[in-house]
Amino acid sequence: MALTVDEKSLKHGVLALVLTLVEVIQEALERQALRRMEGGDLTEEELERLGDALLELDEALEEIKEDHGITTSVADLHRGLDEVVDDVVDKLVNPARWAEEAGR
Amino acid sequence: MTQPRPPMKPTRDPRVTLDDLVEVLLNKGAVLHLDLIVAVADIPLIGVSLRAAIAGMETMLEYGMLRQWDESTRAWAERSAGRRELELRAGETLVTRMSGGHLLEEGVYTGWRPGGVHLTDQRLVVLRRDPREVLFEAGVRDLRTVQLETETTVGGEQRTRLRVATLDGRTALLSAADPHGLHDALSSLNPALTALPPAPQGAPPGGLEGHLWYQEPRRGGPLWRGGKGRLGPTGLVWKSPLDARPGLVLVPEEILGARVEPGRSPGGDGQLVVVETASHGEVTLAAEEPRRWAAALDATAAPEGTAGTAHPPGTPGAVV
Repeated sequence: MALTVDEKSLKHGVLALVLTLVEVIQEALERQALRRMEGGDLTEEELERLGDALLELDEALEEIKEDHGITTSVADLHRGLDEVVDDVVDKLVNPARWAEEAGR
Repeated sequence: MTQPRPPMKPTRDPRVTLDDLVEVLLNKGAVLHLDLIVAVADIPLIGVSLRAAIAGMETMLEYGMLRQWDESTRAWAERSAGRRELELRAGETLVTRMSGGHLLEEGVYTGWRPGGVHLTDQRLVVLRRDPREVLFEAGVRDLRTVQLETETTVGGEQRTRLRVATLDGRTALLSAADPHGLHDALSSLNPALTALPPAPQGAPPGGLEGHLWYQEPRRGGPLWRGGKGRLGPTGLVWKSPLDARPGLVLVPEEILGARVEPGRSPGGDGQLVVVETASHGEVTLAAEEPRRWAAALDATAAPEGTAGTAHPPGTPGAVV
């Protein structure tokens, strides 16, 4: 369950890792923005500004990934992180898995 | 009769992603209270009292935390929102606006700075909103040419950029979400701007960059110094990593020609690159690939007869 960061070079690997983390933060921001929008607290103008800013952030990230040719490695790394989280959560919710693992 | 279905089993959502985990954490919120005393020989010496909470703003507000800060931030943003956009002059109308950027070239430093590209009927402006800064501005009437250019990025992908040249001799490279749209909008404002055909696709950049030795003339005699050289459409720039600013700048008009000569080179291959310049005599360089540098420098040299005429006034020929 190791995360393979290594691409052809360390620079690419580190950049991909940083971008993956930024993507996670961006996703969190987007979901919280959705909650605030549904909260009905924001004015029309604020909604528009928030939407624009998030869209711009999304475009900028896509551009950086494409510029450095790491779109696929970021997607792979993101999936890898998701798998780690899935595994941990799975073990937390189902203590039976521990026994399974120990028995193997 | 249909086949009896197998009994249903409870299942957990098969996939949990990191994004889901973060969302749950932020939606619920987490509070940390920590009291800690570091003691030596039962005498408390250092105390830590930590109160931390993390949650989505909506959850924070539900619990009545940070409410005032939220309100004051939004009120401030509302007051200043008008200032962030491009201020139009009287009688000026916005033609198009898109996200993009401007390539900052200062000496050997180059870097893209993102911002919004605004085209009005009078000006072309690249504006960064936060922190507010005008990255590039030129009047539509001050523009000389606008050309689409294809560039290969570090990742090996082709990107279309906009090369803008102004009447006072400045050039800038802009990126835009829709470069063709911007190009078309500019040409409808002033068809003369875009009369030149786009630069050929996939053309070799013609630039050269790499380690380069420069024989710096000094009072006590010439001194070889190692550094980084970059040859591009704007000329040759050499900078030592120890210096704050480039030690040698040669604009294309300054370069008359270049050749390879035998001599004592720090590269150890006994070959020197000698560049003839218009106003500073001969400049001696050494490189790992002397022939390539000499050929590229020679290709940069201005054709006979035009040397010096296109030289914009006030531009230093060489800074030593």
